[in-house]
Amino acid sequence: MKSKSSNTHMTLHLKVWRQKGPHAEGKLCDYELEGVNPDMSFLEMLDILNQKLILKGEEPVAFEHDCREGICGSCSMVIDGNPHGPQKSTTACQLHMRHYRDGQTIVIEPFRAKAFPVMKDLVVDRSAFDRVIQSGGYISVNTGSSPDGNALPIAKEKADLAFDAATCIGCGACVAACRNGAAMLFVSAKVSQLALLPQGQAERSERVAKMVYQMDAEDFGACTNMGSCAGACPKDISLENIARLNREFMRSMVSGRKSYPRGDGANEGSPA
Amino acid sequence: MAIHLDSKSPTGPIEDRWTNHRFSSKLVNPANRRKHSIIIVGTGLGGASAAASLGEMGYHVKSFFIHDSPRRAHSIAAQGGINAAKNYKNDGDSIYRLFYETIKGGDYRARESNVYRLAETSVRIIDHCVALGVPFAREYGGLLDTRSFGGTQVSRTFYARGQTGQQLLIGAYQAMMRQVSDGNVDMYPRREMVELVIIDGHARGIVVRNLATGELETHHADAVVLATGGYGNVFYLSTNAKASNASAIWRAHKKGALIANPCYTQIHPTCIPVSGDHQSKLTLMSESLRNDGRCWTPKNLGDTRPPSQIPENERDYYLERRYPSFGNLVPRDVASRAAKLECDNGHGVGPSKLAVYLDFADSIKRLGEDKIREKYGNLFQMYEKIAGENPYKTPMRIYPAVHYTMGGLWVDYNLQSTIPGLHVLGEANFSDHGANRLGASALMQGLADGYFVIPTTLTNYIGGTTLSKVTTDHPAFKEALASAKARTSKLLGIKGNKTVDQFHKQLGHIMWDHCGMGRNKEGLQKALKEIPKIREEFWQNVAITGHGEGLNQELEKAGRVADFIELGETMCLDALTREESCGGHFREEHQTPDNEAKRDDKNFAHVAAWEYKGDGKKPERHVEKLEFEYCHPTQRSYK
Amino acid sequence: MSANSSFLTSTIGKKYLMALTAIVWSLFVMVHMIGNMLIVVGAEAYNNYSHALTSNPMIYLIEAFLVAVLLFHAVTGLTLVVRNSRTKPKFYSVTPMREKSASIASRTMIYTGTATLAFVIWHLITFKFGPTYFVTYNGVEMRDIYKLVIEKFHEPLYVAGYAVVMILIGFHLFHGVQSIFQTLGISHPRYNKFFKFFGYTYAVVVAAGFISQPLFVFFAR
Repeated sequence: MKSKSSNTHMTLHLKVWRQKGPHAEGKLCDYELEGVNPDMSFLEMLDILNQKLILKGEEPVAFEHDCREGICGSCSMVIDGNPHGPQKSTTACQLHMRHYRDGQTIVIEPFRAKAFPVMKDLVVDRSAFDRVIQSGGYISVNTGSSPDGNALPIAKEKADLAFDAATCIGCGACVAACRNGAAMLFVSAKVSQLALLPQGQAERSERVAKMVYQMDAEDFGACTNMGSCAGACPKDISLENIARLNREFMRSMVSGRKSYPRGDGANEGSPA
Repeated sequence: MAIHLDSKSPTGPIEDRWTNHRFSSKLVNPANRRKHSIIIVGTGLGGASAAASLGEMGYHVKSFFIHDSPRRAHSIAAQGGINAAKNYKNDGDSIYRLFYETIKGGDYRARESNVYRLAETSVRIIDHCVALGVPFAREYGGLLDTRSFGGTQVSRTFYARGQTGQQLLIGAYQAMMRQVSDGNVDMYPRREMVELVIIDGHARGIVVRNLATGELETHHADAVVLATGGYGNVFYLSTNAKASNASAIWRAHKKGALIANPCYTQIHPTCIPVSGDHQSKLTLMSESLRNDGRCWTPKNLGDTRPPSQIPENERDYYLERRYPSFGNLVPRDVASRAAKLECDNGHGVGPSKLAVYLDFADSIKRLGEDKIREKYGNLFQMYEKIAGENPYKTPMRIYPAVHYTMGGLWVDYNLQSTIPGLHVLGEANFSDHGANRLGASALMQGLADGYFVIPTTLTNYIGGTTLSKVTTDHPAFKEALASAKARTSKLLGIKGNKTVDQFHKQLGHIMWDHCGMGRNKEGLQKALKEIPKIREEFWQNVAITGHGEGLNQELEKAGRVADFIELGETMCLDALTREESCGGHFREEHQTPDNEAKRDDKNFAHVAAWEYKGDGKKPERHVEKLEFEYCHPTQRSYK
Repeated sequence: MSANSSFLTSTIGKKYLMALTAIVWSLFVMVHMIGNMLIVVGAEAYNNYSHALTSNPMIYLIEAFLVAVLLFHAVTGLTLVVRNSRTKPKFYSVTPMREKSASIASRTMIYTGTATLAFVIWHLITFKFGPTYFVTYNGVEMRDIYKLVIEKFHEPLYVAGYAVVMILIGFHLFHGVQSIFQTLGISHPRYNKFFKFFGYTYAVVVAAGFISQPLFVFFAR
């Protein structure tokens, strides 16, 4: 399939969301792009567009990207309504142009949610995720005080389950896909990872409460079990984690002795 | 200023050096630590773990990073694993063996004291990461699993599927986030360091550009820590992330920090080959794949049959043939050169003929497809997405690519550069890997530096130094700010007609051709003629759109590429001056009859550290002699 | 205060309340549908059943409980909708593909829910507070609700409207019932398929059951 497509170049019609700054009005702009090679990644296709725009003296499309191998979680674009594009379990940087046809129209928009304000073009601010982690997404051990790594056996099945949750790359596609702008899949992945591991037990009850309250304070939406988050997740984080989050939260509310104030740290942690 | 490179290595039995050094290091009273502020630039494994551990101690840490979140740093992309001399497998591993193999793997170009400390610390890293909730792979009995990596015959690499870097980074990130919520660490996201500020000879602050607003900000502290990673992107195409850059270390270099062994570049043997001019970066396929994959090329020249139609007796498993005892698990530099040699001799495969096969058919037959999927599933999936071929059915095509830079800012045993108060961690320093890094050792070094070394050595610096009180009103800050401002407006004022990427690609081609896997005098001299031309043209003809206010990704790139051009020149100079082959530095003039690297221990058993002498001027070379008391240099053999 | 005071205002807390109230009404509609099947048996059985329910003094308590639960469900749902329209002010200009999108049932809960609430009110006006006929069986005088039902179910427009609303309720239950398990944290890869199947079947049975009654009356009585 590769060798066949290699020499045929495509022409694409792009509609790209252009927005000058956080407070500017944005709109979809049309671009016609020739010479797209099917072996290019989607971002390489945008690189070509940007090179052309710069040489014409126009501002290139701002988009976030870094590792370009699907692990850093920087990509934040919605392609034809799909966060990270039409392919399952694939980040935008791993999407290749061989999945497109000559003459196709592609609409590219930024992730949309109240909690992820657009900064410019396709770049959004996802710092809300950091603040959710700050509220409790960790295990409180100081450097230097840990027992031997093998002092605590963990059943492989448990470890694997924790791992499945830990593969989250924090890209925010779940929030982008959700029609409510909810961050349940992201929060549940971290809560699950740490609740499943024995190391996470000490703070289990407190952690889930703090993280959920912070999630709410960040203006993420409320989950209505639509499931599009899991469909859009490039790392296949399962909805089972959300069920576990619900369970953990209830458990904490019923059995926890401490009362947690509703998180209000919407702008905590960043002096910016 | 006459520079004397004092490594400050402790003496005495190597096993006791770090312990003794810790005992003799100065301390800072816990109640006083809050009064000391520390700037950390970068949030990869080194930076995030340093922020966490220094925050835990009670210092006031200010963490700066170019991304939106600390979790995006490129450590996240490390796949294979992290070494630790735990000997859980009872296969003869020990701290001493890890130390010995790291020195040998680095082709006897690293400092013994540092490497021993690294091996010693490796054991505690695993313990700490487990406690932080890093989900390492486990065996059915519930204990930690390990696998083998290149350059070693023991199984000491701990891993988390093919995402070890991600899991370790997220662990460090969470530890750091905890310190943010405790108020010990202030985060400054989307900030790029553009100047180092030195007051009375001590590093006292930085100037950063806020990438979101375009504002230049000044920040002061009692010490500055750079953990900004490597400079592999000087080659344009590398396995580094697109934003990985050398600017922080380069700006520090221009302020007086020496850069050591810049020519030591690691070319990783197993990457997905280039598919065309549009290629923006290269993707690594973890070295761990060589545990189960076999490298081969067709024996017949110009054999264009698909791999499945090439019979067994017409395949050359060249690594197994040339290195029977290590086979496919030879170190990276050896494997890369072997692949290059195959292609140079006309045995390359694929459309570009610049690739060799990495074949899993035997392992799939032996272990079953499911077992292979469990071990490498995500890597196979990634390969399929990029190459459009199913690696369970056809062998992967791989080719070496720039991956890691062993060189970096020169640091002493305390990880302090030649500028007092400026400490450098992880890939940004030159310290532990000599001329070639063994697989799964980068993660080990980043975390060793951040979690365990810097808390001691930075405390020693702060406890042992009387620092005057400074604020950002100091003239040195004003001056640095003005020069940063001038640089930005100069870049924006050029308004030429060649894009930053075009310059970067041009530089990359020169670097790859002349300072890549094989280097020779003629080529390096040619590169040294061409790079200044690129630099000149860049400053006259680069096209940067937009303005300095707000997010401007072209401006960010331009600043980085400007530094890469200068760094590239110094790399070539270093490569030209080092008249020997060692590890990742392969001078074609210096090789054995069977194409192995030929060291010159008599003349080059030293670290070469370059001092910046001004724009366009030739930097000055300084030397730190390397002493080998324990591992005596021999011809490195993996046969 | 041992329980958490802000539980009720958290998004997950509200989800729990939605699920718990949903259980009550899911059970109610199922029981109601099964009870109404007596219409097939005949007038006496139907009226006796109705009389048994309405003459029990507990009925007021139960009715009050059901109304309270329904209102609570509706109000909580409404606050979630308001929040979610604020937290997702803009969607995309192209509809996502299947798995990255959401089912129609899940996207329209507020509409099917509102329709259900409106129907419940209309339904009470039509029957509970509608014209009262009497009939006597074995010396006991009771309301002849059967007669009213037969009357109504012979009006073609009424039957059509009733059927449409039942389909909407079916949609509501289609997403709602299986969703209860997820919300309450009852999830396991081994059983999730069953939970889904159970939820979908439940919705279809309730909707089909309710629709079958007017059709039966319209064509066969």
